[in-house]
Amino acid sequence: MIFTPQGGLRKGRIDWALFLAALLLLALGTIAIFSSVAVLPGQARIVRVQLIAIPLALIAFGAAWSLNYQVYQDQWKFVYGALLVFLAGVLFLGVVDKGARSWYRLPYFSVQPSEFARVGLILVLANFLDKRIGKIKELQTVLGAFALAVPVFLLLIKQPDFSAILLTFPVVLIMLFASGASLFHLFIILGYAFISALFPILWSIITLTPELLDNTLVSYFFHLSDSWLSASTFMAFVVFGSWLLWRLSVRLYANVSGVYFAGAALVLMLGFFSGILVKNQMKEYQQKRLEVFLSPETDPRGAGYNLLQARIAIGSGGILGRGIFSGTQSRLGFVPERHTDFILAVVGEEMGFWGMLLVTGLYALLMRRIMQGARLARDRFGYLVNCGIFGMFLVYFCINFGMLLGLSPVAGVPLPLVSYGGSNLVATLMALGIAESVYARRYALV
Amino acid sequence: MIDRQIPQERLDFLWLLAYAAALVFILRLVNLQVLGGAHYREIAEKNRTQIIAQAAPRGRIFSSDEVALVTSKPSFSLIYFPGQAKTVPEIDRMARALARPLGADYEALRKSIYKAASREKPVRLAENLPPKIMLALSELKAVYPGVDVIVEARRYYPFGAYLSHLVGYIGKMDPREWASRSKDKNYSMDSRLGKAGLEQMYERELKGKDGGIYLEVDSRGKLNRVLESRKWVPGADIFLTIDSKAQAAAEEGLQKSVSGKGAVVALDPRTGAVLAFVSMPDYDPNMFVLSGAEKEGLAAGKILPEFNVALQGSYPPGSIFKIVTAAAVLESGRVRPDEKFHCPGWYDAGSRVFKCWEKKGHGDVAFVEGLSKSCDVYFYNASQRAGALAIERQARAFRLGQISGIQLPGEKPGNVFGPSLRAARKSYWFIGDTLNQAIGQGETLMTPIQAAGEIAAVANGGIFHRPYYVDRVVKSDGQLFYKGEPRTLSRVELKDGTWELIREGLRSVVLEGTGQAAKIAGAEIYGKTGTAQNPQGKDHAWFVAYATVNNEPAKIAVAVLVEHGEHGASAAVPIAKAVIEAALRAELPSGNKRAADPGPPQGPKLPPPAAVPAGVRGIL
Repeated sequence: MIFTPQGGLRKGRIDWALFLAALLLLALGTIAIFSSVAVLPGQARIVRVQLIAIPLALIAFGAAWSLNYQVYQDQWKFVYGALLVFLAGVLFLGVVDKGARSWYRLPYFSVQPSEFARVGLILVLANFLDKRIGKIKELQTVLGAFALAVPVFLLLIKQPDFSAILLTFPVVLIMLFASGASLFHLFIILGYAFISALFPILWSIITLTPELLDNTLVSYFFHLSDSWLSASTFMAFVVFGSWLLWRLSVRLYANVSGVYFAGAALVLMLGFFSGILVKNQMKEYQQKRLEVFLSPETDPRGAGYNLLQARIAIGSGGILGRGIFSGTQSRLGFVPERHTDFILAVVGEEMGFWGMLLVTGLYALLMRRIMQGARLARDRFGYLVNCGIFGMFLVYFCINFGMLLGLSPVAGVPLPLVSYGGSNLVATLMALGIAESVYARRYALV
Repeated sequence: MIDRQIPQERLDFLWLLAYAAALVFILRLVNLQVLGGAHYREIAEKNRTQIIAQAAPRGRIFSSDEVALVTSKPSFSLIYFPGQAKTVPEIDRMARALARPLGADYEALRKSIYKAASREKPVRLAENLPPKIMLALSELKAVYPGVDVIVEARRYYPFGAYLSHLVGYIGKMDPREWASRSKDKNYSMDSRLGKAGLEQMYERELKGKDGGIYLEVDSRGKLNRVLESRKWVPGADIFLTIDSKAQAAAEEGLQKSVSGKGAVVALDPRTGAVLAFVSMPDYDPNMFVLSGAEKEGLAAGKILPEFNVALQGSYPPGSIFKIVTAAAVLESGRVRPDEKFHCPGWYDAGSRVFKCWEKKGHGDVAFVEGLSKSCDVYFYNASQRAGALAIERQARAFRLGQISGIQLPGEKPGNVFGPSLRAARKSYWFIGDTLNQAIGQGETLMTPIQAAGEIAAVANGGIFHRPYYVDRVVKSDGQLFYKGEPRTLSRVELKDGTWELIREGLRSVVLEGTGQAAKIAGAEIYGKTGTAQNPQGKDHAWFVAYATVNNEPAKIAVAVLVEHGEHGASAAVPIAKAVIEAALRAELPSGNKRAADPGPPQGPKLPPPAAVPAGVRGIL
């Protein structure tokens, strides 16, 4: 990439392209929200919250933009402490909604601290990685980054808010990647995450197609998680197998360090462990969502209903859409969670293919501008902060679109700026403000 | 750029990731929205709309003098939209409140409401609501949302059983009928279908196009608004060749006969058009339209008399067969018309003595007298001369053993009794067989419609038309869809003198013979009585006749069969007379008119031509 500090818009103190893209998405989202809630019983409250959240979010954006982002690096301990305190506090003071204790109830609205915690964690991790840049290739750096993130994850599990973890974990990985961490370490972590997810998915597939159980091997595999005995034999088998492979590689004069084999075995075992953990911790509805993702037609009236109806809504929009405030699928309540997680179904139905293309394009522009901010940043901390924010948008974008289009399992993940959700909106615009602050201060201190 | 000790190409990779994700999503969106748009639009439309089909009024059926024999009339149905009374106690309370005015079973009502609620489909709770309870229901409508009354067209047969064997009836579809129509958008599960007669044969034309109320419902099935109310298109009207007065006379006459069973078929000898068609016992097609308790009460213990005597009843023709024998005898040239045979009341066939129906005997009898007195002995003698084969050939020429071809299902061909039949069976033909054959006994069988064809052929000089009863079918927009045309099937070729003699004989049957009761002032009636021997009980009575006025070609030929009527003279002749009088009422002197105008048996003479409201008045 060519460094071009003299590009038209980029010259100023504010990245207009980013800000306008964000505002346009917000406008689109607000229209879609108003359309979708027009017939909902809690309509007045939702409209009120959205109308309160928009100015608040703009204020947060302005504040974050005007404040020098380097403050966060200086005060990282305060930032980290505050986010931990808020996350811990919600476990005692918070109110329960939809099975999770995730909200602080305030007079006019509620605040979801996990939304802000994600931004805080990006700042803290950026500082950590900036400080450790000399030893960035070492394993301790990766472990240290996760040591910072794990307390946050634990507090989130306690709520429980799995989707927040699902969103934050890849952000940590992206920041490590962007900071230049060893690809080998990252692959190990990725492999670990992959295996942790693979086991529950495989088990779900077997549950869905019971005829596979006729196969002895499959049946053995299916019952691995049932007792500690079979689990330990499996692990012994893994250790022995990797040892055999290592010996084989030595005999073949392949110059491969034994560390790799040990590492592979370790990753496989750890992944297997957390796979069992995930499977046992998974609530029934989460299990169902996984199954529905794997085969959406299993239960068209039950868990698969949401996905199916959302798909019908998007599809029925066609190229031009059915017109704003005229989508039957969403307005008559066939699409569930239509103002939050499935807001794109409303956009797709009422504004059609062009509307969806607009949202996708604006999101791409948004991410592009944040990344440009990272490239132009005056210091490494700013660069890492922008990379984290970029990662956050990328993850939201992938999971929300993917879920809606049936490319990833249903997870309660909103689309920032478009979906309804006061805390999410304020936190998102705050993050964008920080990105703008990095951009604004690319030449000198202000 | 300051040294950040970080590889810039990793940012490019991340950007590539975002780019690839966006591309995949766009491709997926193209697939969903651009390519699958129409498909998903259709699903979405189905999602939100529920349709209450409103049966279109079936086409009406008129007689040739434009009396509406079959119409439709508005009927009110109570429907329930689910989703507005969700809780169980609410449904129970509603069912209880509705059960009383409807006079319906509370449990059944409750169940159908539950079913509607669980399926999220509107359901008809009751049909054919009597106007009395409309007021009570309109009060309940206000209390219990979801309950509504709609107008539909219901089949109505104003004269009940009148012409029922021709008209047929409609009923709910059985599973097989539904299977073959489930793809037809004009039929729904609870549509009614023609099951017999005209209703069945002209189902497609009579059906019309159903209307429907399209409702928008939300995901909970709650009624949002009425999207549109599509108007029905009434079915095509059918105009029959049936003369309502003649038909009424026939119905009444047969009903009042000794057994009340039998058949009357009247044809126009010029064309083969059916002027009256009665088969008794008959049924009231209205009972299939009525629903619920009413219907059960009507149909309880009754077996539907679907047996069509006029087409399916095969009887020995008895003396009406003598027309055929007479033709055979005269054509053979072996008996001079003025040649006399002596009738002592019996005939010695050698091994056995055959009796005349008149025990005293007729004395010396020539052809015309033989026919008019129906002297068996004359025909015994004459048939011996002519030969059984000649009679059989003549019977075939008069289309015995062949169906008449009327467009009604299940017609029987009767039976031709003769030597060739025996030969085919490798059996023998005896003299006694010829004698039986000559007077229409033995194995000869004839249906009433064949008898009508026979006498019509005598009237028109030997032409057999295919009997038809649909004059025209007119679509609801006034377009002529079908026009019934006379069709000649075959012709009996006899010498003119033969026809003259037969007619003279038939005329004297009415003037001085067995059929004197058929005399009508101002018209010349030609007829022949008959008695079909019935080993199981009393004999059946036959009478076939045609009438001419002022020497014009005959306009009506009628065949009457009264089961167990014993003598044609007493049982069948008056019915034929009444039918002829009614049919020729326009041409007969006014003195006869009153008697000839019995009118349709019940109900209004001319129901208003459009008894059905032009469209639906929305949901009332």
